[in-house]
Amino acid sequence: MTSALLGAAALALVLACALGARPRLWLGLNSLGTLSGLGAAASVLTGGRGWALKSALSLGGENVFLALDALSALFLTLVCLTGGLGALYASEYWPDDHFPGSAPRGRSWWSALVLSMGLVLTCANGLHFLFAWEAFALSAYFLITLDRERSEVRRAGWLYLAASHAGTMALFAFFSALAAGVGTWDLGPLRDRPDLAPLFWLALMGFGVKAGMFPLHIWLPSAHAGSPSHVSAIMSGVAVKMGVYGIVRFSGWLPVPDGAGWTVLGIGCASALVGIVFAMAQNDIKRLLAYCTVENVGIILIGLGLALLAAAHGHPVWGQVALAGSLLHVFNHCLFKSLLFFGAGSVLHATGTRDMSRLGGLWRTMPWTAALFAMGAVAVSGLPPLNGFVSEWAIYQGLLKAVAQKGETFGVLPAVIVLAGTGALALGAFAKASAIVFLGAPRGKTSGHAAECGPAMRAAMLVPAALMLCVGLMPGYFLNMVQACIAAWTPQWAASAPPIPARAIGGAHTALACALVAAAVFALRKVRAGGIRRGPTWDCGYAAPTAHMQYTGGSFAGIVTGWFRWALRPDRRIRRVRGYFPESALALERVPETVLEKGVGPAARVVMLLADAARGLQHGRLHLYILYVFLGVTALGMLVFQGGM
Amino acid sequence: MNDYLNLLIGLAMGLNLLALGTSRLPVLIRAVGAQGVLLGLVPLVLEAHELDWRLVLITLATVAGKGFLIPGLLHRAMRTANIARELEPYIAYIPSLLLGAGATIAAVALARHLPLLPEHAGTLHVPGAIALILTGFILLIGRTKAISQVCGYLILENGIYLAGLLLIRSTPILVEFGILLDVTVGIFVIGIIVDRIQRAFDSLDTRKLTALHE
Repeated sequence: MTSALLGAAALALVLACALGARPRLWLGLNSLGTLSGLGAAASVLTGGRGWALKSALSLGGENVFLALDALSALFLTLVCLTGGLGALYASEYWPDDHFPGSAPRGRSWWSALVLSMGLVLTCANGLHFLFAWEAFALSAYFLITLDRERSEVRRAGWLYLAASHAGTMALFAFFSALAAGVGTWDLGPLRDRPDLAPLFWLALMGFGVKAGMFPLHIWLPSAHAGSPSHVSAIMSGVAVKMGVYGIVRFSGWLPVPDGAGWTVLGIGCASALVGIVFAMAQNDIKRLLAYCTVENVGIILIGLGLALLAAAHGHPVWGQVALAGSLLHVFNHCLFKSLLFFGAGSVLHATGTRDMSRLGGLWRTMPWTAALFAMGAVAVSGLPPLNGFVSEWAIYQGLLKAVAQKGETFGVLPAVIVLAGTGALALGAFAKASAIVFLGAPRGKTSGHAAECGPAMRAAMLVPAALMLCVGLMPGYFLNMVQACIAAWTPQWAASAPPIPARAIGGAHTALACALVAAAVFALRKVRAGGIRRGPTWDCGYAAPTAHMQYTGGSFAGIVTGWFRWALRPDRRIRRVRGYFPESALALERVPETVLEKGVGPAARVVMLLADAARGLQHGRLHLYILYVFLGVTALGMLVFQGGM
Repeated sequence: MNDYLNLLIGLAMGLNLLALGTSRLPVLIRAVGAQGVLLGLVPLVLEAHELDWRLVLITLATVAGKGFLIPGLLHRAMRTANIARELEPYIAYIPSLLLGAGATIAAVALARHLPLLPEHAGTLHVPGAIALILTGFILLIGRTKAISQVCGYLILENGIYLAGLLLIRSTPILVEFGILLDVTVGIFVIGIIVDRIQRAFDSLDTRKLTALHE
């Protein structure tokens, strides 16, 4: 059954790659492929039995070995979900009549990306894993640079490619060392080989780049912001998770070194905090969402780090809760981040700008987008009764139990504070995003004549929204599903730990949701009964308010960005109001990619200087080349001579 | 036997200095040719006690190739290119000579410290080979005209050939023949290229070829 579904998915996606020029056929094939993949993943997740295929077919000198267990099935769910929805969304968002050149190309690469990510998840041979990983990185590159006429997009693409290959280099080292240590490229559980533990650092580095964890996230904001929105959605919701998958997979299969748990926890805390602070400071809505991805990867890593700590110290009870929270957050983040990027894309589609300071008041013209974006914002801020709360709640449970243990793990207390602070800041950031974009009055001409998105884009947003509600109202079902993944991660825990208590939260969520619906119905009736009186928004007692008097994104986030100025290092230009009849005033603030511009950039310039100096050695003069050879041979001769003496 | 060997190799080493010190290309080519003849005779001296027709044939072929065929080709290339002097060397003639003399002394000194077989220890065979190789390098690095560089390459090859003769009893001389064939073909090609460079650039100065780099 699983074999047939996976085979059908692969076949359909390969055909979809080839038939990118025919939109309807492509959409059908891509949907068929992703649905079959989803079916296979669901059957493994619910049936609990893994699937494996060892073939005699040899590729690159290694026999093809494919496997799908609960853990990879969870990630395959994400791939297929966003892979299918994004295709639906793209058919309206990136149509042939507007983008005759890039639309067919984008469709082919989309299916290639989905297929290669599926292969990354199913390859159980290190060499083939690397092939699939490379195909995945390249197809993502071509999708990011779909709109390659714009120079910012090309720059973002190069940065992504460079960062991705830096990570792949670490992965090459990791898989080669692993194969050398084990004697075979086939992958599988090797928990009884403590000598392989140091390889974890290589894996963390290589997969961490793709996961966008701080400080390896430098490629992420520009790549997410510059690419088309459906690509941003799959990059943020799924591609980044491939990195998380790698870390989870190999920290489960291989023994981990001492300190791995604390390191992952620390990186998680840093990513969460830095990510959300930067998100708060952005004026570009997609860049805000991109930084929020860094934050959510941080939350996922906090859960994973805690699970690693629990495994090291032998506390299955809270370790399991934390890991369940972490894995469920992987799933949840994919749902709400796809929704948010689809929403942002819908705004971009309607208004042509991502700059929040030129948007505003869109809820009147785009009620569906506004409502769905607000729902995503509630979920991403970790508020009940939606899915974000469920996973963050589980991570909190793990953290608090670890603190309550009062052993060595009491040190996770700061993580609780960071997580709480992150939640608060996330609420702030998304209050800002939703309020500035959708509420108030239009700030520019662009948002005045916006129109609601069409049915395909709306459907692509409604599906994740419905799933988010399902996770929020039936957390027990989804936590149980994740429990199978925990068994794949470490089999000991499955036997010893009790199931995660989720009934209370499910009940509370249902009650809350009912109350909210009731309140909404009541309010609507009240309004209808009393008649609707529309007035200008943000009146604030002014006689003649204008759109310029509204809060801007910068002023909304001003206090928070002020607290974190030491980290954000914003460039600002201010010309203050002077005199009784001021003629002009100005306030410009731009938050740079601080890590990239102030850290990686200068370091790269030093490397470039050295490389330029070394280029002087290559001048094209044959005589000096012969001299180099002569000197080299002489040096070798001396070496041999020394050795012989 | 050693006296004849030392005489031949000593003369060849003397020709090194002539090759380094002259600015006239015909002299350089003749020096290289003469060196080829001298070194072509070395196998006869080395194997004087068991001469056979095959060895004589090989010697004749080597002498003909190194001493007459290749220099002849170079002469022709020189005439086609219409140049007779190397005017702007990187390393001038007197410094080249001094370097060559230094290289010869260094070669003799180095050979003393090498762990050689007893039958090779007393002769100029090993120092000669090293000196030839070093001289070849000096010419390759220090000259700018393509023909002088080819001559440097030939002297380098002579050195390698001489070093190869140390193994005459264990390596078939056929291998050396293969190398010689390669060199001859190489000279053919270079002759043609020299002609073409001359026509295209109106000069044989290899420094002007750097514009093609990257």
